[in-house]
Amino acid sequence: MQIEEVFCSKIRMKILKLIERLGELNVSEIARRLSINYETTSRHLKILEEESIIQHKVFGRIRLYRFNERSPKAKAVQNLIGTWEQANKQ
Amino acid sequence: MKTYRSVFRDEAKLDINYVPHRLPHREGEHRLLMEFFSFMLRFPEKMAQRVIITGDVGTGKTVLCQRFGADMTREASKTGTNLRYVHVNCREYRGSLFLVLHHTVTVFHPTFPKRGYSAEELLSALLQILDEENAYVILTLDEFESLIEREGSEAVYKLTRLQEARSNKPQRLSLICVMRNLRAIERLDASTRSTLQLNIINLEKYSKEQLTDILNDRVSIAFKPLAVSEETVSLIAELAFSENGNARFAIELLWRAGKYADTEDLGAVTPECVREAVSGIIPTVRKGELASLKLHEKLFLLAVARIFKGSQRAFATLAEIEEVYAVVCEEFDERAHSHTQLWKYLQLLSAIGILKTEVSTGGTRGRSTLVYLPRIPAHELEKELSVSLKK
Repeated sequence: MQIEEVFCSKIRMKILKLIERLGELNVSEIARRLSINYETTSRHLKILEEESIIQHKVFGRIRLYRFNERSPKAKAVQNLIGTWEQANKQ
Repeated sequence: MKTYRSVFRDEAKLDINYVPHRLPHREGEHRLLMEFFSFMLRFPEKMAQRVIITGDVGTGKTVLCQRFGADMTREASKTGTNLRYVHVNCREYRGSLFLVLHHTVTVFHPTFPKRGYSAEELLSALLQILDEENAYVILTLDEFESLIEREGSEAVYKLTRLQEARSNKPQRLSLICVMRNLRAIERLDASTRSTLQLNIINLEKYSKEQLTDILNDRVSIAFKPLAVSEETVSLIAELAFSENGNARFAIELLWRAGKYADTEDLGAVTPECVREAVSGIIPTVRKGELASLKLHEKLFLLAVARIFKGSQRAFATLAEIEEVYAVVCEEFDERAHSHTQLWKYLQLLSAIGILKTEVSTGGTRGRSTLVYLPRIPAHELEKELSVSLKK
């Protein structure tokens, strides 16, 4: 997927910002915090995971999503969000 | 202009959560605990330990565990063992195994979800996390009685046997169960009781001399030199001894007396300050319980306090409280919870002893619940809650 396709979605950007802020979350919690439905959230998470930006960890029935520590894409996104938020504060 | 002079050097050293480096008259028990868990420094994977600590209120159970936890974790890190000490007050978690385990899991994964799975699944998740991180946990279940009360034998069984059943895997979870006495344990079935292995440490109540030593220790770190006289310490020790040797009560009283001294700008804590303080004290055990209440439980209790404050009445009905609660909610910009929810709050507050309920059958309009505030002065309760709600 091209970069513009990944980042053209407002929901995906919100998901990434949320995960950057809180570390790791399950689908329901992401959906609840962003006031979007479960299926939509899952769909966007799948796209982000296919791009190796995020990864999930399974604990029984629970899946926790977080940034993919090994992915350069994930690092770039985290840097972008961090720098952006910092600049907005100044 | 008059300058403000406080008797305190560092009043945080009198806080209920402060864990001193030295525990006067609990050195033997501390050594015994370290001995019980010494295997963790050599072969942590081989076994899981279970210890029961008993003792009345203010005999140093909690602080002993916390001191031990800090010391053990430090020792373990020297040997390269990834050991976490987790201290949970079961009463604060309503005696729920699920909530206790959830708290433990959040030590490793702070945003772990709270809904949608069972306590067993949570325990499996915890063991999975510990396996993956090659970590060990000493879990202290403070006020263990409330866990037994709510969950019975099943909870203890799950905490002990389920990890034992994992074939060829390291034992990850050790337990310290803290309780006032062994009566609650007797309610467990025999096989569950045996899983606790019954390494028991009983803390005797402190003598007046021991309380004096404890107070002197705290005075030296919390107050300015010469701010607290020997007579003052002796009076506090005497009062605390009559309160069943309660060291927590003694330290709370010392702090309050210091506050009175500061208010009057005396420059020293006199016995008179102690007498002032003791007349207005809410035992810290109540304060601790107030702090652990949820927002609407506090709002509900604030409504109760307001009803009784300045009135000569001995009881109020739930309907009356509900009306005042609605006003309180408006004041705090909160949506009032339903009658059923308030009923649950009432049950909880009765269970922890802040309120008392009685069913009235005398009237002509059927049964109604009468609510009493038996032990805490309403104005004190309102004050404590107002402070707590502002935090």
